[in-house]
Amino acid sequence: MSTVCVLTPIVVGSWPMIANAVAGAAASMGFSVLSSNVATPEGVSDATLHERVVVDVPNSDVVKEAMDGGQEMVIARDGVTLRFGIDERGRCTVCASGKGLSKRRLTEIAEAVSGRVVQQFAYHKLMAELKQRRFTVVQEHVAGDESIQLRVVIDR
Amino acid sequence: MKKPQFDISIAKDGSVKIKVSGVSGQECVRLTDMLAQMIGREDSRSLTSEYLGGGGDVRINSTVDAHIREG
Repeated sequence: MSTVCVLTPIVVGSWPMIANAVAGAAASMGFSVLSSNVATPEGVSDATLHERVVVDVPNSDVVKEAMDGGQEMVIARDGVTLRFGIDERGRCTVCASGKGLSKRRLTEIAEAVSGRVVQQFAYHKLMAELKQRRFTVVQEHVAGDESIQLRVVIDR
Repeated sequence: MKKPQFDISIAKDGSVKIKVSGVSGQECVRLTDMLAQMIGREDSRSLTSEYLGGGGDVRINSTVDAHIREG
């Protein structure tokens, strides 16, 4: 007997949980983490960059009790800089900037990385919950379409 | 009998697809509900022919389901 369910993750957590997901997304997409929890990292100046776009990380809500202001994480690759932060609504946002790239291209990059942040968040959340319930992950791999595949056995 | 298991796929855009198999009808629904609560919002759920003991699949769209429940 089986059921198939499709879900949209809700990214609710403290800033360290979000930052952990950003770091995982950066690593999986070849971005370098330039800095975290600083206003302006060394060597990065928005004044030298031509275009800039801001997009939301979908369905995100950073727990306000865990915020102490100014929390930010910056990643970069091939001249593109992505700055993750929290807006006044408590949502996680990403500001993409880079020389010689159109706003459309920057939006595509920001949305792709945001998706990967959600993927990493869902992965870490699931693994923690499954471990807490003593379920056993017997298979884990990244497929050709870059999806994360898990098989979990329920020992009763 | 097949061992109870979850097959979970987390796509690169973050969407999650979960298949729960090897458990009886009510238990299958309970486990699916538990996993859905771990992740976030449920977009759709399908009870397969395996679940129903043969015949076609049944797909429940959460939006339609909500309308039905609201009457």
